[in-house]
Amino acid sequence: MSALTLAALATLVFCAPGYPGGSGDAQPFVDQFAKAAAASAGWKPDSLAAIYDPTDPGALAKLGDKESVLAFMPYAFYIQHAAALHLVPLAQADIAGVGTQEQWTLVGKTGGPVTGPASLTGYTILSVAGYAPDFVKHTALAAWAPLPADVKIEATGQILSALRRVASGEPVLALLDQTQAAALSTLPFVAQLKTLTQSAPVPVALIALVGARLPDARAKAFQTGLVNLNSTNGGAEMLASLKLKGFVLPQFPGNAAKP
Amino acid sequence: MRRCIGVAAAALALVGCKTPPTRPIAPLSPLTVEQLAAAVAADARRGELTTDSKIRDQLAADAMQNAQACLARAPQAAACLYYDGVALGLKARAHPLQANDTLKAMLDALSSAEAADPAYDQAGPARVKALVLIKAPAWPLGPGDPETGLAAARRAVTLRPDYPPNVLALAEALAKTGDTHGAFDTYRRARDLIQALPPSRDRDDWLKEADQALSKKSASH
Repeated sequence: MSALTLAALATLVFCAPGYPGGSGDAQPFVDQFAKAAAASAGWKPDSLAAIYDPTDPGALAKLGDKESVLAFMPYAFYIQHAAALHLVPLAQADIAGVGTQEQWTLVGKTGGPVTGPASLTGYTILSVAGYAPDFVKHTALAAWAPLPADVKIEATGQILSALRRVASGEPVLALLDQTQAAALSTLPFVAQLKTLTQSAPVPVALIALVGARLPDARAKAFQTGLVNLNSTNGGAEMLASLKLKGFVLPQFPGNAAKP
Repeated sequence: MRRCIGVAAAALALVGCKTPPTRPIAPLSPLTVEQLAAAVAADARRGELTTDSKIRDQLAADAMQNAQACLARAPQAAACLYYDGVALGLKARAHPLQANDTLKAMLDALSSAEAADPAYDQAGPARVKALVLIKAPAWPLGPGDPETGLAAARRAVTLRPDYPPNVLALAEALAKTGDTHGAFDTYRRARDLIQALPPSRDRDDWLKEADQALSKKSASH
């Protein structure tokens, strides 16, 4: 590949902190996505590369490269980093089995002392979204804001372990996404867990522009391509391999999705 | 056999399907239990060496057939239950869209094998179970459960403490559950055990695994 071609290549960074799968496992799937999305947008073949990173710092580092013009991310990542990275929502993901929005659920021990925000003092909240404390405090637990100052928020990919700790009476709570909350009934110790509060519906994931690195016309074409992607030849199958059904225009408050 | 299970489990990271695994009834084979078990083991070894999806598919089908024949001959034999689990691991790798349910069936088979004879194949049932539980996506996406995997790895090491794959599995489980120092010490112990063995392909593979893990952990400190 020539230096000229390399310079022209745009990159879509899949930011997936807390989710399963290493970069090597995911790369073939995100490569297919980039190829199909570029084609749907009418971009030149091979003009879009994709890269997957399962960590918050790793994804942030990749987004620092000037070739990183687009990013696929959970809503928590967007809330945490939108201002610093100048992220502009382009399309909202429709996730298979979840939809375009989801609710987050705070789970504590049945009969435990936590009944409201005041009784959270000294507790730790464990969540796959724990890397995004702004999201946890101001979005997922907006109904309980402000949280006591000594509440800790920690990221964990081992949510089953977190729930065992909750059930055993440790001073921890688990903040679950919709898929996790829906599966609570499959746990043998579900009777020892109770729902404390639930968020309003919020977006699950989105694709955003990173700053103004992509010209407006190309951004608009890409947005249209994303929305139409599931109706392209083989698009639905490709999306299904990433547990996606398709994309819709952003529908959350305060977005600036008008490239 | 260690690696194919890991790859199958990793394949679950981005895909999932609710199609139940099929378990055809096998005709009675003229081969003995030992021969059928050895045939599955050979398929697993060949499966580790190939990246060709068609060959993997053929090996998985052959292993499943031999495992079913073994179970038809001796349904309660630890060897048949264990290699049924191994064959299901090959199937999970060959058919990642069905891997979730296949890995659950694999864990059931390995639990039955462990109940029948925990020491079979150098504590193989607990060791392989540990690897599946460590590597598979965790609840609710898959059957992965690192804490339970750690307990299984400890059982394997308790039964056969000097068998390097058991120690490597324990080190991996410790790393996955956040015990960095414990994992480092255990990889070093595994390395010492491996270096005391006579030259062989297994020895080379185990040593490479231990060295890679130790170098990663040294770099991260």
